[in-house]
This record gives sequence, structure tokens and C-alpha cells, in this order.
Amino acid sequence: MRNGQRCALLGAMVVVLLMAFWRVGAQQPAAPAAGQREGGTSGRNASGPPEPAPRLADGTVSLGRPSGEKGVWNVPYITNMGERVVEADGTSVFERRVAAGRGGRGGRGAGRGDGPIGGGEGTTGGARGGAKSEPQVPFQPWAAAIYDYNSKNNSKYDPEGYCLPPGGPRLMATPYPMEIIQLPEQKRIVMIFEGATHIWREIYMDGRSHPEGDALNPTYLGHSVGKWEGDTLVVDTVGFNEQTWMDYFGHPHTDLLHVVEKYSRPTKTQLRYEATFDDPGAYTKPFTVRWNIPWNATGELTEYICQENNKYLQNLTDDFGQPIFGKKP
Amino acid sequence: MKTKFVAFAAAAGFVLATGSAIAHHSFAAEFDANQAVNLKGTVTKIEWMNPHTYFYMDVAEPDGAVVNWGLEMGSPNGLMRAGWTRNTLKVGDVVMVEGSRAKDKAHIGNARVVTLASTGKRLFAASSQADTTPQR
Repeated sequence: MRNGQRCALLGAMVVVLLMAFWRVGAQQPAAPAAGQREGGTSGRNASGPPEPAPRLADGTVSLGRPSGEKGVWNVPYITNMGERVVEADGTSVFERRVAAGRGGRGGRGAGRGDGPIGGGEGTTGGARGGAKSEPQVPFQPWAAAIYDYNSKNNSKYDPEGYCLPPGGPRLMATPYPMEIIQLPEQKRIVMIFEGATHIWREIYMDGRSHPEGDALNPTYLGHSVGKWEGDTLVVDTVGFNEQTWMDYFGHPHTDLLHVVEKYSRPTKTQLRYEATFDDPGAYTKPFTVRWNIPWNATGELTEYICQENNKYLQNLTDDFGQPIFGKKP
Repeated sequence: MKTKFVAFAAAAGFVLATGSAIAHHSFAAEFDANQAVNLKGTVTKIEWMNPHTYFYMDVAEPDGAVVNWGLEMGSPNGLMRAGWTRNTLKVGDVVMVEGSRAKDKAHIGNARVVTLASTGKRLFAASSQADTTPQR
């Protein structure tokens, strides 16, 4: 039943995918940060058609660097996945705003951040509307209450503030560069992430199933198996623990969460990312989010060790003003 | 000794926070973007460390008392991508800082723009604040 619903939803989306994504891609801000200037976002050469995605020797689409080149994916700052939920008409709040000419980096209340600069709604203290403002997110009542709490306190208790890793699709929404390394001869794909917590993720491509019962150990990133459907990498993940939020805004999830991600590279400079969340513990039905990730052709990963001197955590107080860790200075 | 407020829009034009500089913790939970601070003082200490570089500076209050402020910036790798090095700012430098005040701490802030007083050179401010640039 769920698979059927998902197929129907995805099928409906196909009609608008090309147009919507193309518009979004074309609207990405043209002011990359210093050092990230060369990262193309439009998928076009200076003139002529878009450069195609590179391919491995066996013909598989490469989601990584072309041979002999540098490059990283400049993961955008998607602070509120609620704005990226694909709704019944096949578009998201974010895409409709872009289509209306208000850009992807609108004012307060906008889910900014498809570009390499980052930014994000609510991160500067603008009022947030909570669950009531997101009818497109099928919250269960308790999940709505949790989300409202996280909204009211401006994500004060965000696990990433503790230097804990993003879980699931938030890996692709936390604005540090990442790389995808395909190892077809080993039947696995490794994704390495500079930031959040400097972590890697392994996707088994050898046809195995998820462990079941107690053999499935709940973890931050879960257990991921992948396969190619044409030029799209489809990754199925279960086995999440409950220590992460789905996004900066604090959409919760439970350990029943099942994520299906789709990665494709229509041009050399663009990664299309889509994730379907199915969490019967927190939401009443599955929903899908999507966004584009630009390629930075000159980028390389650098070291980032969040735990080194985390004053935010050292100074964090609870709702009653008491220090959570150590003494308040 | 506090400097006058510099036109925010002009300053904001230089704010090009790299993604990695801005994502660690909730800016809004710690700082108040509506409480601008403009400080001038002498750098006393630099912590070139993750997840945020901090520097400290002695600032003379209007009554003459000297107060040590702590100011947060981005991560070292984010600052490097923005053109900083660990020696861009040195102990003893006199700088002007535009930023935001912490919500519940008197002398903690988030540095958005740092300017060397001796040369007027505006050092890139890799704030940990999310993008504050005007819409473009």
C-alpha cells in the first residue's frame, strides 16, 4: 500500500520534475562565496549545451569527480524540509516561490539556501509558524507538538549544535561539502562529508537486504542498500536511532523511519536529490522532499572537527536557565 | 570608543559566509540579530578552533572601564575558504567589529565584519550567523 502510494506520488511528480528543477536550477543565486566561485550551478558551459555527467569505465553515471579533476558537491543549507515537500500539485512551497519570481532566497520566512552560500530561514530569529504553518507535512499530534517546541525556542536543542551527526537526508541539507565515491568493483558506494561531524556513509550495492530484528542496530545514519535504476541511484535506508532531527527546524522522526533517496546527475554540475520519508511513528503518511545540489569543480574537502571547542554546548542552559553540561561561566 | 554604526547594507555586501561557517548551532538561540554591536578594541586572544573561531578583545566602555569581549566567527576551514589564515588576525591588532550581541551574556557577540583599524582593511567576516545579505 505504501509502495503503491509512493509510486503514484512519484509518477505524478515526473510530469513537473524537469520543468520545476530546471527553473530552480536556473534561479540559483549567482553570488557564490569566495573560494567557491567556480562551482557551476546552471549545468551549462559558457556557451553551448550543458556538459553531461561523467561516467565510469563501465558506463555507469559517476556521481563524483571526473578522472583527473577536483570537485565536491556544495551541499546547500536546507533549514526547513517542510518547504521542500512535494505536494499534490507536484510542486513544493520553495519551488512555487521560485516560480513566482521571488527567488530561492526570499525574505524572512523563506527557505533560503539552494546556493553555495547557505543561509536559512529562522536562523536569524524570525518568527516561525510551527506545525500549523505546514499543512503539507503530515504530522501526528505528538510530532506536531515537538515541532512547535523546537520552533518556539529557535532550535536551541538541535543535536547538530551538540556536534552530533545529521541523520538521513539532513546529511544532504547541512551546508558542508561532500563527495560520492563509487567503488563498483567492491560493490559499494562511500559518501564522505566534511562537516556536521566529518563522517562517512557506506551504501551496500551487493544486493544484500537490511538486517532484521535485533540484527538491525539503530544508528545515526541507519543501514543503507542501493541499486541503480537507469541513471538514478536509489538508496533504501532503515535502522535509524532517534537522536537526530530531520532538519534544522526540528521535524522529528522515530526509529521506524524508512527513507528512500534518489540521486541523479543530469549535467556535470548538478546533483538532483530526492528523499521519501516513511515514518509511521511520527507522520500519518509518507512524504517526499527534493532539492538540487551544485558541483564545485575546484573544491576539495578540508578538516572540520566540530567537537574541538564547542562553546555553544558548554554554555547551553535548559529551559530553567540551568547549565546542561558543566558550569555556566 | 564605540564606533558609530556603519551602514548595515554596505557592510552586508561583504558578508559572504561560506556554508561551513554557518551551520553548527542555532544562531537565533544564542544571538539576537536585532541587537547590533559595534566595537573597537585590541585583540587579546585568538582561538583558531572548531567549530567556531573565537577572538577576544579589550574594549573601553564609555565610562573608561575596559571590558573583554568574546566574539564568535566561523570554523577555521570556512575562514580559510574565505581567504583568512590563522595569522590574519593577531594579538595586539586594533580592530573594529560589527556583529550581534548574545542574548543572555553581556560581553559575547558574533562578529559579522572585522576591520583593521590601522589600515581600514575589511577582513572577511565569516560569521556563524546565517546569511544576512539583502535579497538579490
